[in-house]
Amino acid sequence: MVTAYVLVKANTGEADRLLDAIAAIDGVVDAHIVAGDVDVIAKLDVDSPTDVKDIAADEIQHTDGVEDTETYISM
Amino acid sequence: MHILIVGAGRVGLRTARITHNEGHEVTVVENDYDKAERAQNEGFAVVEGDGSDEDTLERAGVDEVDALGALTGDLNTNFVACMVGKHHGCRTVMRIDEDYRENIYRKYAEEVDEIVYPERLGAIGAKNALLGGNVTAIADLAENLQIVQFAVTEDAPMHGYTLSELELPSRARLLAFGKKDGALGLPLPDDTLEVGDRIAVLAEFDALDDVRQILVGEATAATEVA
Repeated sequence: MVTAYVLVKANTGEADRLLDAIAAIDGVVDAHIVAGDVDVIAKLDVDSPTDVKDIAADEIQHTDGVEDTETYISM
Repeated sequence: MHILIVGAGRVGLRTARITHNEGHEVTVVENDYDKAERAQNEGFAVVEGDGSDEDTLERAGVDEVDALGALTGDLNTNFVACMVGKHHGCRTVMRIDEDYRENIYRKYAEEVDEIVYPERLGAIGAKNALLGGNVTAIADLAENLQIVQFAVTEDAPMHGYTLSELELPSRARLLAFGKKDGALGLPLPDDTLEVGDRIAVLAEFDALDDVRQILVGEATAATEVA
């Protein structure tokens, strides 16, 4: 199993919708709206590093209202 | 009131100055030595340290102050300072760095009573300066409610009348009146509307056009939206 954290910078004030959309993605086990330079942090629990890339780069990145993401894989 | 300002940069120090000028007691927290010294030289009580550190805020009197303005350029510092401030019973004001975040902090940050986005106010000022003219947006109170200042022109239907004769649309209120080159003051019924005089009006967005036609007279000028 691979655990990773995805930091999401939004470009929308609709944080609720964004949080729900990200939390609904398969592999996302937890997501929170946070204060600071990013707006949402999502925790992923998946089988492989490839899954991390797929979820972060494709699904989260392409969610409406997401400006940018930054991914950290847990060691 | 006793006000605690976190951050003595371009926003914090100016806020400290105008708050102090209105007779309030101001304490400033700043972690940069040069900025702290500059604030000190201006006569402010300055506590040097990290504004997101509770001990620093306690040294700065967060227990005694009425309100805390978290006005650094760092969102995390600002948010944590508000959390600490709220915990100590202050009214809290947080500076944000992007306008879309206003909704997020309004909704989720219970620790934050008010949000300021300085660039927005700067943009209103810049836009007014660029457009010039007889209509100046002063403040947005709500999405649909603005305070706007109008300058009376030669063509204004109300030119030459007194304020007691002025009839504004029902969704607009007269707030202040100033003679040309004079300061704005409370409107008096006998004040006469002459060219260049300024009138501040609180109005719903939809009523602004009617107010402008009464006071300025042009039919086509765009309404001001901040």
